[in-house]
Amino acid sequence: MNVLNTRASSAPLSADAGVSGGPARTRQGRASSAPLSFRRSGFGVAQVILFLSIAILVVVVAVPVLLIFFNAFWVDGKFNVRDVLRIIGEPDTWQALVNSLVIAAGTTIGSTIVGTFFAWLVTRTDLPCKRLMKGLFLVPFMLPSFIGALAWKMLLSPRAGFINRFFMLHFGLAGPIFNIYSYAGIMLVEVMYLFPFVFIQVCGALERMDPTLEESARISGAGLFTITRKITIPLVLPSILSGALLIMLYSMAHFGTVAVLGIENGIFNIPTLIYQRIHQSAGSFASIRTGTVLATVLVVTATFIIWLQGKILSRGHYQIIGGKSFRPMELKLRALRMPLFIFCVAWIGFTIVLPTTVIFLVGGLRTYGLSFTWENLSLDNYKFILFNYKVTRDAIWNSVTLGLSAALITMFAGVMISYVIVKMKVRGKGFLEFLGMLPFSVPGSVIALGVILAWSGKYGVNLYNTVWIILVAYIARYMAFSLRANSAALEQVHDSLVEAARVCGASMWQALRDIVLPLVRPGMLAAFFLIFLPALRELTASIMLYAPTTRTIGVAIYTLNEDGETVMSAALAGIALIIIVTGQLLVDRFVGNKAKGQG
Amino acid sequence: MRSTRVRIMTAVVLGLVLTLGMVGSAAAKESLIIYTSMKESLIGGIVEGFNKKYPDVAVDYQSAGAGKLMAKIAAERESGKILADVIWTSEVPDFYSMKQEGILEKYETPLIKEILNPFDDYEGYFTAARLGTLGIAINTDLIKTPPEQWSDLFKPEYKGAFGIADPALSGTSYMSVALLEKQFGWEFFDKLRANQARIGKGSGQVVDDTASGELAASLAVDYITNDKISKGAHIALYYPPELLMAPSPIAIFKGGPNVEAAKKFVDYLLSYEAQVLIAGEGTLSVRTDVKKPEEFMLPEAGDALKRAIKINYLEMMANKEALIKKFTDTLQGR
Repeated sequence: MNVLNTRASSAPLSADAGVSGGPARTRQGRASSAPLSFRRSGFGVAQVILFLSIAILVVVVAVPVLLIFFNAFWVDGKFNVRDVLRIIGEPDTWQALVNSLVIAAGTTIGSTIVGTFFAWLVTRTDLPCKRLMKGLFLVPFMLPSFIGALAWKMLLSPRAGFINRFFMLHFGLAGPIFNIYSYAGIMLVEVMYLFPFVFIQVCGALERMDPTLEESARISGAGLFTITRKITIPLVLPSILSGALLIMLYSMAHFGTVAVLGIENGIFNIPTLIYQRIHQSAGSFASIRTGTVLATVLVVTATFIIWLQGKILSRGHYQIIGGKSFRPMELKLRALRMPLFIFCVAWIGFTIVLPTTVIFLVGGLRTYGLSFTWENLSLDNYKFILFNYKVTRDAIWNSVTLGLSAALITMFAGVMISYVIVKMKVRGKGFLEFLGMLPFSVPGSVIALGVILAWSGKYGVNLYNTVWIILVAYIARYMAFSLRANSAALEQVHDSLVEAARVCGASMWQALRDIVLPLVRPGMLAAFFLIFLPALRELTASIMLYAPTTRTIGVAIYTLNEDGETVMSAALAGIALIIIVTGQLLVDRFVGNKAKGQG
Repeated sequence: MRSTRVRIMTAVVLGLVLTLGMVGSAAAKESLIIYTSMKESLIGGIVEGFNKKYPDVAVDYQSAGAGKLMAKIAAERESGKILADVIWTSEVPDFYSMKQEGILEKYETPLIKEILNPFDDYEGYFTAARLGTLGIAINTDLIKTPPEQWSDLFKPEYKGAFGIADPALSGTSYMSVALLEKQFGWEFFDKLRANQARIGKGSGQVVDDTASGELAASLAVDYITNDKISKGAHIALYYPPELLMAPSPIAIFKGGPNVEAAKKFVDYLLSYEAQVLIAGEGTLSVRTDVKKPEEFMLPEAGDALKRAIKINYLEMMANKEALIKKFTDTLQGR
């Protein structure tokens, strides 16, 4: 279960149903237990911590977002909505908006069906090797979807894709069997790598559901169909919907897949259009404005989705989904058992094994277009990339150091902010709670645009073209992860512990250091890795911010592919996969034991 | 036990972060940042050679399409400081406009007498460091008869499978589109459209797509194609008689802290040593004393200059956006 938890939450806006509404939710009834608040002795300390927390969130998250709104709506010193509507109405922008919605909708529907079906299979049927299967279905969380897109481009590009070529060669087809450069192709790839969002939510709900409800229905004579329709589905629906909304949120703001498969064929969504505009029109004001307007649309949609999710979840928290462990009723698949098992294995082979293999094989080729024979394959590209190629060596170094720094800073900042939100009773906390919600609804490309506006010299500090601007963006982007992990840990530290220490004469600082910090350390560690691993493969924000020497791994893979260095980009992608998977396995082993006991 | 492990981890992490800071601050005496549209295979070797000769100069370079680099430079100017010291791309009109805007340093290299200079109006603001040529790269598995004329591209075997890099992204592609339009008029592109020619991404990607068979042929830059040929790709490069040549000028930005190092780099780039490297990568050197390697089917530099389609760069500069738009509409418009 630990393994599942860490993996699940390594995806943005994780699937952990209970907390996806943000850290602001404080469930404990502490209203009555506030005898020893900090007002008595530590007025200074409490205020300083609160002030620092607000300052961090304002500078890192709120200012960039406000600047985006400001630039979108404020033209020549005047508030102007008509101009915003004009920009949205432009054919290119309108098309990008529609595309974002269409792709997100298709991906969401597809992933929901796939995710729910597999979740049902591994929890409620007698499918063979269920445990192993469940673990395998979570692997796509680890694979960056733009690397997946890269692999599928190699497999299914219309004329040269290995699968298409195979069919054209051996079955005499005149055209490709599937063209990956299409809406369907983009949605298919996104479904493959996003469905675990729904999968893990639904698995959780089905496992936690009280079996006596279904049993009593059965005893009363209801058939399986009636039970499913009247009991199971209503109980699981909130989880399905909230997983689906997470996917919607993610796909709307997703850069990588659309960039790899769409741009070349004129399919843009909001993040790729922002990227294209900013990169190609010389950073002119017009393009930045278009960017800010599009970003505003993204933020508004994201906020709406999160609000909707909160609503669904609060309605769906039936007490009957308790935490008891039990053996759920299993459906006998009978004749379908083996076919379905084979289908699952095929799915995993098709979505995980095949793309990964292709990446490693192409990475070993001397040049793209050669066949996979021993004389064409070697480890030369991998050696070149690790030891001789400055661009890739820099990129690996940058990603690792950026990831570590962002994770460290965000971990400490997150502990402090969560502490104020969860534990402290000071005036002005409400404002902080509101600020704490912000990082959850701001997608990566919006953050990137915001930090460009905030940190490129207009307001005194110029970080543009340095690693620092990427660091600032990462901190803003991953603050949500840290807040969630830390507030979850803090909620489990009861106030009475600190109170006891204070009664025994410890200073507030001592109480914090000796009681609270040791207890939340697992949460902090979890936050650290929840940030470090995704940061290693970050693309959406860094692609807008990189400079000659500040490419990250994601940027390097993407630009190498764009420059036609297909074998190099595949080799780097292979190395990145090894780093990510090794990191994840280490975390599972290391944090898996530590995080025991915290949700 | 548990907390020791945590402490060790924290120490390691902190150590790494500190090292990052240290490395960032340890700078060499002189430094130099080059923006170039030359691909890694070309610029990598040259920077290495330069570093051997001038170990005190710390060189960084960014290799990207000319369009992207110009966008980056414009953004940097906006924020007050151009990060690059030197720019070396193949989009000649950019150099004329940068000269007009007064952001280029005038440097008349002493080596100018030794090289083939394609610019009649040479003033020292930029100097050609390579004579890039573009031809038709074909996938030898898919196309058996080599193209001889540009009009061969209208034949059925190229249908839906001839690619030109996006001129908005690639300087060489923009140059070639302008040159072909000058020579043959828009009618040429109308016919390409009739044969379903495609617009690809960058100048590197169309060649890789040709090698993979995604395209049967593409409008291809000499050294990118030759690099893949030498790695064994099943492609070949052919030049129709009306030659597309895009000289690649190098220029120094005015007022930067590293102008002296930049001048050293310009002179190094024009020297025999660096030009041999350039020729060795499969493109044309600007030096007459550099022999072109036998394995590449390249024209002689002097001969190529004569055969090349001529164009007025100043006029071209004024029409850039219109030209790219018309090209895109012609090939993709509905």
